[in-house]
Amino acid sequence: MHTDAPADLAMVERASAGLSLRLPRVPHRGRLGDARAASVGSSMELHDFRTYHPGDDLRHVDWNAVARTGELVVRVRQDEVSPRVEVVLDATASMAVSAEKSARAKEVALWVCELARHGGCEPVLLIAGREVQRVPGAAARAALSQLRADGREPFDAALARLPPFQACGLRVVVSDFFVEAAPGALAERFARHAAGCALLQVVDAEDLDPSGGGGARLTDAETGEVLERLLTPDVLQAYRERCSAHVSAWQAAARRVSASWTQVPAAEPLTVLARRELSALVEAS
Amino acid sequence: MSFGFPLGLLALVAVPAVVAAYFLRRKQPPRLVSALFLWRTPNQRAEAGPRFERFSREASLALETLALIAAALFLADARCGEAASRTHVLVVVDGSLSMLATTGGRTAADAARDAVAALVRDEGASVVTVIESGPRPRLLAGPQLDVARATAALEAWRPAQPAHDPTPALALAKELSTVPKQRVHFITDGPVGELALPPEVQGRSVGARLENVAFLSAQRRDEAGVATVTVRVAGFMDAPRSVPVRFSAQGLPEQAQQVALTPGATALVRVGMKTAGLIEVTLPDDALVEDGRLRLQPSPPPTLEVSMVPTLDPSAQTTISRALLVMGEVTFVEKDAHLSIGPPSSVARVRVGATGPLQSFVGPFFAQKTHPLLDDVQLGGVVWTAGVNPPGQPLLSAGGVVLMSEADDGVVHLNLEVSRSNVQRSVAWPVLWGNVVRRARASREGFPRRLVHVGEDVPVVTSPGASWALEGPEGASRPVLGVGALTVPPLSPPGAWHLRRDGKRVDTLEVLALDAHESDLTTRGAWSVDAAKTDALATLSGDRPRAWAWAALVLALMLADFWLTARRRS
Repeated sequence: MHTDAPADLAMVERASAGLSLRLPRVPHRGRLGDARAASVGSSMELHDFRTYHPGDDLRHVDWNAVARTGELVVRVRQDEVSPRVEVVLDATASMAVSAEKSARAKEVALWVCELARHGGCEPVLLIAGREVQRVPGAAARAALSQLRADGREPFDAALARLPPFQACGLRVVVSDFFVEAAPGALAERFARHAAGCALLQVVDAEDLDPSGGGGARLTDAETGEVLERLLTPDVLQAYRERCSAHVSAWQAAARRVSASWTQVPAAEPLTVLARRELSALVEAS
Repeated sequence: MSFGFPLGLLALVAVPAVVAAYFLRRKQPPRLVSALFLWRTPNQRAEAGPRFERFSREASLALETLALIAAALFLADARCGEAASRTHVLVVVDGSLSMLATTGGRTAADAARDAVAALVRDEGASVVTVIESGPRPRLLAGPQLDVARATAALEAWRPAQPAHDPTPALALAKELSTVPKQRVHFITDGPVGELALPPEVQGRSVGARLENVAFLSAQRRDEAGVATVTVRVAGFMDAPRSVPVRFSAQGLPEQAQQVALTPGATALVRVGMKTAGLIEVTLPDDALVEDGRLRLQPSPPPTLEVSMVPTLDPSAQTTISRALLVMGEVTFVEKDAHLSIGPPSSVARVRVGATGPLQSFVGPFFAQKTHPLLDDVQLGGVVWTAGVNPPGQPLLSAGGVVLMSEADDGVVHLNLEVSRSNVQRSVAWPVLWGNVVRRARASREGFPRRLVHVGEDVPVVTSPGASWALEGPEGASRPVLGVGALTVPPLSPPGAWHLRRDGKRVDTLEVLALDAHESDLTTRGAWSVDAAKTDALATLSGDRPRAWAWAALVLALMLADFWLTARRRS
């Protein structure tokens, strides 16, 4: 049973108004824009000096330096780019175990896209679900409004069907990260060719602290596998311990690839989340 | 595996109920989870769909189901292996001599063996009780002997009983039945006549109607070295027939007499043979060979050895000797005599004389007329002079004086002063000594008669201070208990039986297979009767304790289930 409720995407715009995405303080790659890039370019920011090599643009010769030193010295200026921001959204069925979880994941993804746009970045929304989609930031709202989190395979399997990640300034992954695959390899993939990486774990309250009481026919949202258990306190405690260990493993993996890890409770509205859990991503415009 | 109470298996219908209850209990509302792998314990594996394996790992269901099955097995009184219930078949086989009648090379006894084997096979019997009918029923196999041993016992069985009523054997079978109204199989060789069989008896004949020529009786008398043999021959047949009767003895030429027999008639044949040895009398072999062959042992020697103690009063010696000599077959010897006669102070078996003050009596005399020593002794007109009373049980008395007594050891006291009495001149005197001699003859060790018919009680005389036994023709030994003139039950099988004293042969007896009813094979043939009550088979589960292991298993499984579920609840 999927509870894929429509997200309040209009509220996302209000929540992102006046805010932009805080980018990592490292050179970026992207189209020509406002942010300093890692590449040498033609912006006004001086990057370095070097001796002239044949083929260099004579306009970049620092004639004052030539006059002082008698050597042809060329000004090396830093390139100015418009950084790419990739938002990867987990659209497998596990993201729709509850209406809040599904809605919050979409809202957070759209919210990040909006923040990126407000910051002059070029957001791209990558959706990994039953089908994989690559949506430009401008069309993200429309895409998310139509999206149903109904992927019948684990997130790591859905990721495999995505095109390779491109070099970008920031990659934000919105998922519950409940996959059996080793966190290390996945985290490394998320952080590859990205100046910064943020892993946002959207979790339902039942994901972290399931309620007990009698037996339950547990059905995996993605694979449909069934496990009948008596949800005794012992069983629930064991689940909590395993869940905590799983989250800890992801946190450690995120640290190893210099990615940030943020747990986003689905029960909280986005406005609250933007001020608390997601505040690290926000920068005033 | 067998079941003492198969209806107990009805408890198994509760197994589906338990499984259904398990399903209902386990049919919880599905819960969608994001990460099923986090719910799994390390040794668990999620499986989709309601597969059987899903339940097998449910220890509680398995324990409850097993407990229920064990309870059902307990109620059904299930037995395994050696403990499995045994099916008991009761068989009574006719032990009469006619079961040895042969037709087609096989005896009726062989057919009876086959019938028992078929019965055991058909009934699926595991234990068998076989009883041989006879004047005294005999347990051939059992009670409740396993089939192999019972079959072996039947193989060694050789019927040799006279005509008899099978009722005692059937009653014994009923006593040995393991459940009330258990069917008793009676296998015989012909109709049982007007006999009313118990309702549990299922009778069947394996015999056939046959013609037979047989001896009905045989006598041998040995006198003066000549044995006179008298035999009666009968023909049980449909047409007149002439058969030779052959007499043979060691060292003598065989004698044969042709006898013409008509159906149902008998013929007497008598021959004299000058021999003191064994005489064999035979008829041609026919359906029943046993009743056509006789081995006639010589009669016991009639001569009685008597000794007189020299201290006996001479007048008494004279008159006693005169009385004994009249009888004949009495010889006087100095010692080791069968009968010793002496004065009251001697150790003789018969002590004659009076001591102390004498007293004469003319009557009335009081006598134990039933005592063999006083049989036909008439004392009318007799003057009897006696002394003091002798010891022992009084046999004859006059007034307060005991004239004749018998001690516990058999010593006879004759309180008689011959010189002052006239009893020795009366008719009572030879009669009295005749009784004494006859009793002395009868008390000689051995068989008073050396020829007896099958089924006839056997008289035998033993003496104290020795171990006595009877050895049969097949080597079987039967101890003889008691001392003196005894009567032992009929000896079977027919043939020569030897009396042994401390292992040494003392005398020989011939048991003759003579029985007119058994020899008449024309009355045999097909017969059968069904049991009126057909509670056929008896399983022996009822007489054995229940298999409490099942109950213990139920308890253990329930405790394990309780422990398991209690641990889950905690």
